[in-house]
Amino acid sequence: MILTAAIYFFGALAAAATVLMIFQRDPVKAAMLMLAALLATAALYLALSAQLLAVLQVILYAGAIMTLFIVALTVTPAAWRDRPSPASLKRVLGLAVCAVLLAELLKVAGPLRAAAASRDFSETGALDLARQLFGPFVLQFELLSLVILASIVGAVALTSRRRQAL
Amino acid sequence: MMEFYEANKDLLLFAGASAVKVLVFLNAVMGFTALLTLAERKVSALMQDRIGPNRASLFGLALNGLFQPVADGIKMVMKEDFVPGRAEKLLFALAPFFALVPVLALFSVIPFGDYVMVFGYKFDLQIADLPLGLFMVLALSGLAIYGVFLGGWSAKNNFALLGAMRGAAQMVSYEVVLGLTLAGLLMIFGSAGLQDIVRAQGRLLFGWLPAWGVVYQPFAFILFLVAAIAENKRTPFDLVEGESEIIGYFMEYSSMRFAAFMFAEFVEIILVSMLAATLFFGGWQVPYLYETGFILPGGAQLPLNHYLVSAMQVGAFAAKTVFFSWFLLVVRWTLPRFRFDQLMNLCWTRLLPLALLNILITGAVLLALGKV
Repeated sequence: MILTAAIYFFGALAAAATVLMIFQRDPVKAAMLMLAALLATAALYLALSAQLLAVLQVILYAGAIMTLFIVALTVTPAAWRDRPSPASLKRVLGLAVCAVLLAELLKVAGPLRAAAASRDFSETGALDLARQLFGPFVLQFELLSLVILASIVGAVALTSRRRQAL
Repeated sequence: MMEFYEANKDLLLFAGASAVKVLVFLNAVMGFTALLTLAERKVSALMQDRIGPNRASLFGLALNGLFQPVADGIKMVMKEDFVPGRAEKLLFALAPFFALVPVLALFSVIPFGDYVMVFGYKFDLQIADLPLGLFMVLALSGLAIYGVFLGGWSAKNNFALLGAMRGAAQMVSYEVVLGLTLAGLLMIFGSAGLQDIVRAQGRLLFGWLPAWGVVYQPFAFILFLVAAIAENKRTPFDLVEGESEIIGYFMEYSSMRFAAFMFAEFVEIILVSMLAATLFFGGWQVPYLYETGFILPGGAQLPLNHYLVSAMQVGAFAAKTVFFSWFLLVVRWTLPRFRFDQLMNLCWTRLLPLALLNILITGAVLLALGKV
């Protein structure tokens, strides 16, 4: 019963933080709300007995990706404006598109009933995941590293070109 | 009432025991933190041939400065709590908590002893025995960046923001190294639960050498120590704050909000010490001490009472923590500060390849020994 309550609580928290994030005008505050949503999602995973996923969510999304987001955001001029500019027509249109997308998402997600069987807490699933990743899916896994390599090369190329120009 | 008690006996017992463990362990940590602020000043005084704080007294009793932390605390509370006019009020107020809370939460996964039997119940001397404790350490230490970053940004001060940017770059970089150095330990102990790792370190190698993490991974220990000091933002990696010349991320903070950042740093010293002890120096293990007493490699035995064994194990953990805390203080007052480019070069071109090499060699050795 506690677990069910926790699932609904953190689910509601994640949804509320996401909605607040969408309507937040200040980019850094929006990023902080997104962080709250990510952490609530991690807690949700934990309540669904998916420990590994919860921990990875915090390490990768909250710890690494959001940090880079926030660092990049604070150096943009918008983060230093005292009063954010009012919403323009373009943004209202954007909101309308969001509403359509949300409706579609709800239509798809409606029939889904997650079968979340709570498992023993000492079972982490880390070993199963590793066996899958380094077993049947090893080719895909290694291909993914190529994508990362490409992005590293791209980043180096971008920064080195700027260094030459200076 | 009685029915409810009977039905939920295990849950109530668990909640009560956990509350007691949290209270005792966190209060011990907090007390030690207060003493550490004094120790920091005493160590610096010792190394600079000064006396250090020795005047704060209670009823005329100075005890060579033992009451200094109390005086510091009262002074901090009394100071004006200043908030810059342009600051983001809410985030400015939240930032100190972001700095302090993840660090305090991490103590829940650290095992400070094996177990004790009380009235026939067995209590683990660890607040939360998470099977993924090691990942939890990485996850929560990753969140500590937000305290630094929000502190610098929300004050709307360019110097504070620059300090925060340096901090974010440094902490993100060294976090990678920290994670990779711990991968070697994961491969050897085959578990991410910290209590499992400590129990595994109770074995003996060749019949006499305690199988501590540092024996398996001496190289990773050095990398871990460097990365951990950098995560902790202390000299020689203190470009984030640099109290005396370069201005840090908490420059607009005063009073207890500033104290929270300060306090977080000292709590982190204890955390790093406890992690070093837990992962590499056997945690609460005392060499040759088992549940029933000492069993020396020669075969000599010395049976001991369960409570005495437990007390010795907790004491050993405390002693190791104190030792590493002292070591970190000495490092701070011995080494000069890095330049920022040196700091980044050290991380990405030296430590990171070495950490990867460590994983490669560990894997190769495990494969050669047929332990995979």
